[in-house]
Amino acid sequence: MNTVVPALALSGVSKHYGPVAALRAVDLTLARHSVLGLVGENGAGKSTLISIINGTVLPTDGELRVNGVAVTPGSPADAARAGIATVFQEQGLISNLHVFENMLLGREAGFSRAGILGRSAMVGLARDVLSELGIAIDPLAVTGELAFGERQLVEIAKAFALGRIYPVEPIVLLDEPTSALSDKETQILFNSIRRWREKASIILVSHRLSDVFAVCDHVTALKDGTVNGHWAVADATPDMLHEAIVGRPRSAGYYKEAEQREDLGEVLLDIRSVSVPGQLREVSLSVRAGEIVGIAGVLGSGKTVLANAITGAVRPASGEIRVGGKALKPGSRADALAADVGFVPAERNIAGVIGMHSIEWNMTLPSIRSFRVAGLPFLSGSRQASVTDGWIARLRVRTPGRAVQIRNLSGGNAQKVVFAKWLARGIKVFVLDDPGRGLDVGAKEEIYVLLRDLARQGVAIVLVSDNLPEIIGLSNRIITLRSGAISAEINAPANDKPAETAVVPHMV
Amino acid sequence: MEAKLSQSATTAMPPAWRQWIAKHAIALYPVLVILALVVFFAVQNPNFATFDNAMNIGRQSSVLLLVALAGTMVIMIGSIDLSVGSIVTLAGIVAALTIDSAGPVVAILAGIGTGLVVGLINGVTLISLKVPSFLVTLGMLSILSGIANMICGGASIMFMDLSLTNFVNAELIPGLPTIILVALLSAAALTFIAFKTVLGRYLFAIGGGEIVAANSGVPVNRYKVYAFMLSGALCGLAGVLLTAQVGAGTPAAGANMLLDSIAAIVMGGTALSGGIGGPQRTILGVLVIAILSNGMDVTEVSSFTQEIVKGLVIILAVASTIDRKKYPFIK
Repeated sequence: MNTVVPALALSGVSKHYGPVAALRAVDLTLARHSVLGLVGENGAGKSTLISIINGTVLPTDGELRVNGVAVTPGSPADAARAGIATVFQEQGLISNLHVFENMLLGREAGFSRAGILGRSAMVGLARDVLSELGIAIDPLAVTGELAFGERQLVEIAKAFALGRIYPVEPIVLLDEPTSALSDKETQILFNSIRRWREKASIILVSHRLSDVFAVCDHVTALKDGTVNGHWAVADATPDMLHEAIVGRPRSAGYYKEAEQREDLGEVLLDIRSVSVPGQLREVSLSVRAGEIVGIAGVLGSGKTVLANAITGAVRPASGEIRVGGKALKPGSRADALAADVGFVPAERNIAGVIGMHSIEWNMTLPSIRSFRVAGLPFLSGSRQASVTDGWIARLRVRTPGRAVQIRNLSGGNAQKVVFAKWLARGIKVFVLDDPGRGLDVGAKEEIYVLLRDLARQGVAIVLVSDNLPEIIGLSNRIITLRSGAISAEINAPANDKPAETAVVPHMV
Repeated sequence: MEAKLSQSATTAMPPAWRQWIAKHAIALYPVLVILALVVFFAVQNPNFATFDNAMNIGRQSSVLLLVALAGTMVIMIGSIDLSVGSIVTLAGIVAALTIDSAGPVVAILAGIGTGLVVGLINGVTLISLKVPSFLVTLGMLSILSGIANMICGGASIMFMDLSLTNFVNAELIPGLPTIILVALLSAAALTFIAFKTVLGRYLFAIGGGEIVAANSGVPVNRYKVYAFMLSGALCGLAGVLLTAQVGAGTPAAGANMLLDSIAAIVMGGTALSGGIGGPQRTILGVLVIAILSNGMDVTEVSSFTQEIVKGLVIILAVASTIDRKKYPFIK
């Protein structure tokens, strides 16, 4: 009987914001003790759907049933009583509280006698839940002192703690749990999810198709607010999912491999035995005009340090970095920029764009001096406007206008603005640290097209990424780093791309 | 179907005037506060809403405007300059000391130069010792107050040369006292700098996101120093004008300028966290404070009551002007 009644069933769920339909008649079924993958591009409606399931958004229409019983839509309290718990993308933990306090946040009433909390009961329950889940974290630890991946586990434990307070089996909604985790942390999480399946039913929202194949039983693809496909994972292929998500078949060249340049120009970037104590050892590497060199390595391998050394954010203790034949002053960002080295940082919102400023102000920042009028100290407003509009059109930044604050753009569009900052200025060397981070499949593809364009124009590109298929697909050559030193150099011509299994052994 | 579509489109998009108000709300609130104050005081006392009194308000608030503009340039980069008032004091004393022996032009330059040097020291200390601006300028405030008192020995510094005093009270443009003209021209010049020059764009960028600015090639440290030098120079000018207006250099001249100027800046709509706002906003904030003080003088409110009322109005005005959507939380 239990196998027939699903843990969660949505039927005909719609959500309209004014004239905009975020979701249209969505049906979704989560079988008990299974993991359902929910995939789709940014704006496909995944977040809205999750919010409707956990009661924070009231659907315009439709019905929710948990174990066959209807749940009041739009009531977070009702959803919680039904065992629904969400693990958010942006972590919902308070860093100065202890782990057990976070796990039971908002549920203290059951532990309180005359307003005084029964601390030992709370700690006991938290410890119980953690050990049952096989999570080795002390409930008395201060949350802010845990690593990112550990905090994510605490969030998950928080969801399971709910099942102890209400006599129900939890339905756990994991919203992009892997987007900020290292490969190793992701593996640990997936192993845990497989075990937890026996005690819960899980929905996993993810950008990464590899997540779906690693851990899900079923997968539902959303596109433009409707269900565009539902499969048992055993019957699905990456190409099928890709097509359902993007709405067009996965072209043979998702990474535009056919456009990869094989006729390379002169050496533009020349790194000669650069060392940073404890982080990089004698790294030498040269990149030619039109070439994309991928830097692969695990967390702590030194790949981000290498990117920072090229852009001048980190000062090497020894060695030399030359751009176009000229040696850069070590550790000088100004010198690197003067030599036309562009930089796309991994932390887009902290290091790439100023959220409170307009597209125009962000886009013109690196090149602002070129907008001065005839050597006079003031800026031409009309030229800034026309250049900005030009790049918005060329890169197809989806925005109502150039005055829109960056914070109102999606990740993919904000990343295009980061690219435009450098394109508007003109660059010889482009250093990218995880350019696809947080972007959906479609936005990533647009970024890849831009990279191929830049290579065609003779820019030397250094691509640091956690995403191995991306590195293999895009790069002419792959450099693997291990403990700060180059462990291998692997050629990756368009017609003979190495397999992931050929690269990974050099990373670990 | 078509009719239905257009109908839903109109309900979704508010009319143009409401969009305009929503967009400019942050600038409109201070205007509303000003209008409310003007109407209130005009009803209380018929002498309030007169041209002569308007010029009074202008004369009384010109120096505060310069100081608030100075503070704005530093708050724009997300730092704060607590030494503004003490620079006003010291620069005023320097001008009073030099004017009789060296003439008004040297006195003006000496006053501005004093501020410039103090600003330079503030900025260089900030970037080289990596002490937060709050503490650097707090220390500077104390140092400058001490120096001012040492020079004065508790008394005011009087001078004979009245050319500067006559100049600031003269009306270069008939009807408009020169001191108001200088303050308004400074406000216009700084607004131009903020929005139409590389310097201004860099200051906003540093305040909006220092790391992004550095990654985009902004020489962050150098421009931070510029912001403090600009602030110092403006306060120096304010000190000279105040000394000319009062007719003496006094060790307490700038004492109450600091809090009034910060209140004016924030009321105007420049966020203390930096990156948004600007000098044009500060003008409105200064007007609120100036009208309030003058109006209470005109309606003969006791000075103790004035302080209480001013505090209340500042809290209420900031509560209604800050665009709270831009702050995830308030500490």
